[in-house]
Amino acid sequence: MTLTLDSSAKSGAIVYVMVQYLPLSADSLLLDSSSSLLFSLLLAQLPVFTLASPVPQRRPSDMDKLSNQTKNLMKLTQDLLREHAFDSDVEPHRFRSLPEMSNRSANDLSNLELKPTLSQLHADLKLYEHHFEWLNKVSKKHHHPAVPKLVEMIREMKSLINLLHRQMLRVEAPRLPPATPSLPPHLTYQFDVLQSSHELLQHFKLFCDWAYRAFLTLKPKASAVQ
Amino acid sequence: MPGLLSSPVCLTVIWFLSWSLRPSCAQIQSDEVLDIQYGHLESNVTLACGQSQIRTTVVWRHNQSSVLPWHTVTSDGRLVLLHVDHSAQGHYSCYDDRGLLLHSISLRLGYPPGLLSVSCQVPNHTLVRCSWEESVRTFLPAQYDVSYRGNGHEWRPCVVDVARRRCDIDHPSFWQTIHTMRVTETNALGSETTYVRFKLHELLKPDPPESVLVKELQGYPRRLVVSWSFPSSWPQHDAFPLLFHIRYKPQGSMYWSEIFSKESPAVIFDALAGHFHHIQIRARDDVNSDSQWSEWTLSSPAKPWEVFTTPEPEEEEFFTDDVVVSITKPETSTAKTYNPEFEDEGNLGLVILLVLFSVVILTTVLSLIFVVWVRQRRRDHVTKQELTSMVKMKSMPI
Repeated sequence: MTLTLDSSAKSGAIVYVMVQYLPLSADSLLLDSSSSLLFSLLLAQLPVFTLASPVPQRRPSDMDKLSNQTKNLMKLTQDLLREHAFDSDVEPHRFRSLPEMSNRSANDLSNLELKPTLSQLHADLKLYEHHFEWLNKVSKKHHHPAVPKLVEMIREMKSLINLLHRQMLRVEAPRLPPATPSLPPHLTYQFDVLQSSHELLQHFKLFCDWAYRAFLTLKPKASAVQ
Repeated sequence: MPGLLSSPVCLTVIWFLSWSLRPSCAQIQSDEVLDIQYGHLESNVTLACGQSQIRTTVVWRHNQSSVLPWHTVTSDGRLVLLHVDHSAQGHYSCYDDRGLLLHSISLRLGYPPGLLSVSCQVPNHTLVRCSWEESVRTFLPAQYDVSYRGNGHEWRPCVVDVARRRCDIDHPSFWQTIHTMRVTETNALGSETTYVRFKLHELLKPDPPESVLVKELQGYPRRLVVSWSFPSSWPQHDAFPLLFHIRYKPQGSMYWSEIFSKESPAVIFDALAGHFHHIQIRARDDVNSDSQWSEWTLSSPAKPWEVFTTPEPEEEEFFTDDVVVSITKPETSTAKTYNPEFEDEGNLGLVILLVLFSVVILTTVLSLIFVVWVRQRRRDHVTKQELTSMVKMKSMPI
């Protein structure tokens, strides 16, 4: 019986022969050209991956998540205001039941208490949620181009409300009874929708500004409670 | 004689005489002091010679001079100044035909108030400072009544500094969409109210950062360390973070490079070695992107550390700053040499990346060589075995 070996045989064949004639050892693995190549490359990449991966990051706290989500919402609001610019200094003051901001001053931010503030912010956000859902419905009726972004905003708002609610449960902050929003009657003209949208977004932007600062202030207090 | 003077009868006579003579002189004196009349510029102004109707001829004088501005005198002795200008202002006196002073008036001319140009500065969340300028110069003293309110809320007074024509609102309700200010200017000729609406969050403009300090970094000829402090008017509180914008350029260059930082100090990594640089910083509220940037600080000159004979030390990170670098001008990277002009120690990351890449390539090449070597060895082994089998086969009896 003659054993012939074709010099032009493919690597698979070579490997087959090698496996046939060599005892099974660590070397046998390296003999597989493709796997050994891959193995070497992976080894070489190891320091790169080690360097590339950031220093083990501190897990964002719940308050960090809250402030980040608020900032995200604020950005969405600003985008909407910018995209659907409605230049008017005179506000119609249609929404009578929006959270009251006239009693919130910069000094108050230094003296915020954790539980009441979280509860208040939660109630305020729920109220805004109602208003924006109403605006979304009205905008859909008038085929307003801002609808997709409004839908996204409401989704993000709900996410913030959920995060906040979780935080409230953690620190045992009470949930305030929901306020009844007084929404304007049906809007006949596209102009009314624009005006209402502008007013609501302006209010919400400032609310987010205040809420973001409140979360920044409350962060050390929340860490102390947990 | 002293006894006579001190007698009650004589004292009564003196008192009566002085009382009866007093009114005429005192009236004139008080008129001279108190009687100020205001008139509208570029119109006709009538000056009366006292309260009573005068039947005799009166003579008017302007600042003790008999030369009067363009005028007429009515039959009842009133002086009518025609189409008055500023030169008609001054002290007017009327005399009877015997030269006795009858009445004195001080005339001041001007315009009634017009609308004001009101501007407000908001250096932080706790103070709003509004000042105003006349759009029409009235030339007359005025009083101001200023109040403000948030959208849909009641009016609140604003404390006025009349001399500086400004008023300060302390601790405003900042997070309201629109505020309205009402400034009423009143002078002798009339009154006018100006309403202005403003958005505090858009007017927010911090004062420039303070105590700016730029230092070289020993051993790094392309680095500069910039430090500063918050504007003293800005609250030092977690709730009010600031974003800082640093710009720098070599002396004589037109192009600024820039970096943004939330904390001091910040490190400039790509300064031009051996050159003086100008560095400026400004600040903005980090939360509210609709707010305004502060003015730039004054230019701070600085030069990076210079290499003479000392070799560059090992690269070590001295600063763990979270600087967000965005270089506007594309940086020209140069090979690393000991020439201080071209030493490129700033691109440590790039160098590390290149070294790692070389390692990857080298490892790959070595692996290939190893595989080829193993294959070759295997082939030799197989050939040897083949030969052995052939020899064996040959030796086998057929």
